[in-house]
Formats: sequence, C-alpha cells, structure tokens
Amino acid sequence: MKNTRTLGKYALVAGMSLLSLIPFYILLYLALNKPSRTLFNGLSLLPDFNFSNFSEAWESSRMGLATLNSLIITIGGAVLIILAASSAGYAIARYSNKFHQSVFNLLLICMMIPAIIITVPLYTLMKSIGGINTHWAMILLMASNGIPFSVFLYTGFIKVLPKEIEESAIIDGCTPFTAFWRVTFHFLRPVTAAVVILQGLAIWNNYGQAVFFLQGQDMRTIPLAVSMFFQQYGAQWNLMAAAAVIGLAPAVVAFLVFQKYFVKGITAGAVKG
Amino acid sequence: MNLLRKLWNNLHLFMALPAILLFGLFFIYPLAQGIGISLTDSNGMSAPRFVGLQNFIDFFHDARAKKDVYNTLFFAVGSAPLLNIFGFLYALILDRPFKGKGFVRAVVYLPAVISPLIMGYVWYFILQPDRGFLYHLLESLHLGTGGSDWLGNAHSALIVLVFINVWQFVGMTMIIYLAGLQSIPKELYEAGEIDGAGYIKSLWYITIPMVVQSIKINVVTNIIGSLSVFEVIMALTDGGPGYSTESLSIYILRMLYGSFTGYSTAVAMVLFAMIIIPVFIFMRYINKKEFEM
Repeated sequence: MKNTRTLGKYALVAGMSLLSLIPFYILLYLALNKPSRTLFNGLSLLPDFNFSNFSEAWESSRMGLATLNSLIITIGGAVLIILAASSAGYAIARYSNKFHQSVFNLLLICMMIPAIIITVPLYTLMKSIGGINTHWAMILLMASNGIPFSVFLYTGFIKVLPKEIEESAIIDGCTPFTAFWRVTFHFLRPVTAAVVILQGLAIWNNYGQAVFFLQGQDMRTIPLAVSMFFQQYGAQWNLMAAAAVIGLAPAVVAFLVFQKYFVKGITAGAVKG
Repeated sequence: MNLLRKLWNNLHLFMALPAILLFGLFFIYPLAQGIGISLTDSNGMSAPRFVGLQNFIDFFHDARAKKDVYNTLFFAVGSAPLLNIFGFLYALILDRPFKGKGFVRAVVYLPAVISPLIMGYVWYFILQPDRGFLYHLLESLHLGTGGSDWLGNAHSALIVLVFINVWQFVGMTMIIYLAGLQSIPKELYEAGEIDGAGYIKSLWYITIPMVVQSIKINVVTNIIGSLSVFEVIMALTDGGPGYSTESLSIYILRMLYGSFTGYSTAVAMVLFAMIIIPVFIFMRYINKKEFEM
C-alpha cells in the first residue's frame, strides 16, 4: 500500500518534469539535426548529433555581438536595480513617513501597468535624450521597469529583518546610510538572488522594447537575433534552433546557479512582507 | 562643513531618490504624456491636434478593436484561473518531502526561463499541420487526428495559446505558492489534526487562508500578464488567421507602426483601464476576506 503510493508520487513528479522538459528536448533535437533531416520520420527520437549547426548559426546571425549586447544590458540593468531598489526598500521599510508611504503605494500601482502602454511617449523621450541604439539608455530603461517589483520584494524582506542588525553598527559609529551598505546589505542575499533571477531574465528576454530602441544592426540583443532568424530563413529549423539554444544557455545556467536562494527570497520578500 | 556632515548623517532619508528619479523619468513622465497624446490625432509626423475623447469614441465603434478585446479577455479568463489552480496543485505536490525535490522544482520552473517568443516558435514547430512533432507522434501511435490545423482555426488557436501560456508559467505561479506554503507554521496542522481535521478540511481551513498573500500576488501578476499578452501570439499566429487571435497589445503596436499614434495610445489607455479595474476589485474583495478571517 505504502509502496504503491510512493510509486504513484514519483510517477506524478516524473510526469510533471517531463512535461516541462518538452521544449528543451525539441530545441536540442532540432539544433543537432543535419539540414536535410529536420523531421521526426518514423519517430526516431535521437538527433544526428550534428554540432556544426551551432557554429553556422553563431556566424550567420552574429550571435557573438548579440550575446555581448545582451550581457552588457542585463548585467548593467540588474546591478542598477539591485543598488536602487535595495536602498529604496531600506528607506521605506525603516524610515516610514508619509513620503515613503506614498512612494511605495505609487510603485505598487505602477506594477500593474504593462510597459507597452507608454511606448509612444517613451520613444520621444529616448530620441530627445539621444538614447536610441545605446547601451546606457537601454540599461536605464530596463532598470526602471524592474524597480517596482524589486522595491516591493526588498521592502518586505527588510521589514521582517531585526532592527538590531543596524543598531549595533550605528552605535559603533556608522551613519544609517553606511550601516545599510556595510551590514544590512549582506543579509539581503536571498532577495537579491530572487531579484537577479526575476529581473535578469526579464531583461535578457526583453523583446517588446528592444525592437523599438535597439534597431541598429550592431545593437541587436539575443531575442532580436533569434527572431531575425525565424523571419528571414523560413525553412532552416536546425539553424534557428541552434541560435535559440545559444541564447538560452546563459539564462538557464544563471537560473540554476541562483535558484537555490530563489524560493527563500520570494518567501521572505513577497509572501511574509 | 557642518552642513555636509549633517547631510551625510541624514543620507538615509534620501535613499529612495535614485529609484524614484529613474522610475519617474522612464515611466511616470511618459505615462503622463501618454494620457495627453491619447487626446490628440497625433500621427508621429505632422503637428498633433487636440481631439478630446474622439479616439475613445472611435474605439467603441471599431469592430477589429472589439474582436481584440474579446480575444484578450478570452485569453485572460482562460489563463489566470488555470494557472492558479495548477500552480497551487503543483506547489502542494512539490511541498512534500521526497528525493530530488529541489531538482524537480527547478525543472518545472525552467520553461519560464525561456522568452515567450522562443517558446512560441518551439510550439509552432510542434503544432505544424502535417509535419510537426505532434503530427508525427500521433501518426506513429495510429491516432489519426495529427493533421488538424490547430493554429489555422480561430477558435482552437485561442485555446492552444491559453494552454501554452499556462504550461509555460505554471512553474512561476507554483514558486509563489510554494513560498506561501513554506511560511505556514507546522503547529497549525498539528492542532488541526488533534481537532480531527482530515486532509481536505485542513487544506480548506488552514492552508488556503494562510497563503492569501501568495494568492494575491499570483492573481494580480496573472491578470496583468495575461491581459497584456503579446509575444506568444506574435510567434505562433501573428494575430491570424485574419485578426482572429490578435490581442490588444498587438493591436497597439500595429496602430503604432501604421502611424496612428494618438489612436494607438488611446487603445493603450483602454488596456490600462482593463487591467487596473479587475485588479482593484479583486484586491478590495480579498482584503475584506482577509479582514473577516
């Protein structure tokens, strides 16, 4: 009786995992096939292990440049979010006054507004500050997109953190500002991991805004490079899939590295706070 | 010198400023401007004229816009409840102790790591009529429905889109519920057991009330995400056949590319209202509920 239940449980869990892995299998399958064989004839589930697709895709769509652009924008944006959102979260959680309260409420409301709504005026703004096709403007924009939810997470987390953490540092001669950066900030690791995963992925995968503000050939990010593939070379599924896998790999690796802290960060930041 | 010292000591009061400046410049300011643009006949080239609420009146007479509102609502009403039900069930299953728990959680979350655009392309390959993966699978199992053109038919295409969205983001919803489940003190269940509550009863009277915060976050993010759906539709059907699977966000972009800047921004404002109203109603409802408990 107990054995059948355990078996059932593992079967269920295995089913859930397999369901989630389907696209990864399909992508890898396609990416490893020879150009002549892209279909599942006779349901042979093993690909040709033709690794040359990767180098071909890498060269023909300038994936190297796209990866570099994506890395610059994602790392820049994430760092900016962490700095700005953690310090704002600290101020809001620890020094509660009318101003901080209304800032927090405003951010909460703005969390509900999808970015597409402001595309037109944003384009005018980006043009007037000379930010079209630049890394710095895209970094600032991506950071501002991520700020509301990140501030929400940091505020929630800092609220349940004991005040004594800073108090002893202040007695030792820190100002509240330095106490935060020298002491409290190190306790924020779980939320920071959650912010890195959520916002880093959002920036890495951003397509809707990159299409508008990074139109230059040399500024393409990975989603743009991959989507070009899908639009231009209609039938070469193997190359498209290889490009997609290249673009996916850094995101998956980063997720697996940070995911250990992820649930912890969400628990403390969003659910308890 | 004294002033600098004083500023340094009170720097913590200004720590929210960088975030506010950034967000103000790249979000609040364009949003305020957008409200203004939606009241003009701006086309991005010649000087805009103030037309009052004309764009909004046009919207209500726009048959394509009506269809898009319907599609967007269909997608959201399909996605949000399914995501929450399956996300919660997934969380309940993966909250129990077993070997490899962390691994399975990561795997279930993994689809959310891929951009919806690329995910859409993968599903497009799976679902292609007469040569996709599903077709070959069904054929070789001698189930003869593989040739159906699921994406070519307006009704089934919408259902397929809902399914893909739920499937991709169930892990995301699950993580938030999992976080909620983990913050429930175990003593509550022990107390429930002593009072004779079975699994279903303790689920209803302990678990669900204790994960209200997770429900809030999930429902709100699912409403926002599904009402502003964009990439997965672009990749799979591009809004077609005709406009039959077009969502409001895609319509906003199309109007923008067509230089109907003022009208496009007005449609964006309508979408904003469509999101904010259900969210507020839900928040009021659940906060009242929470208060009762």
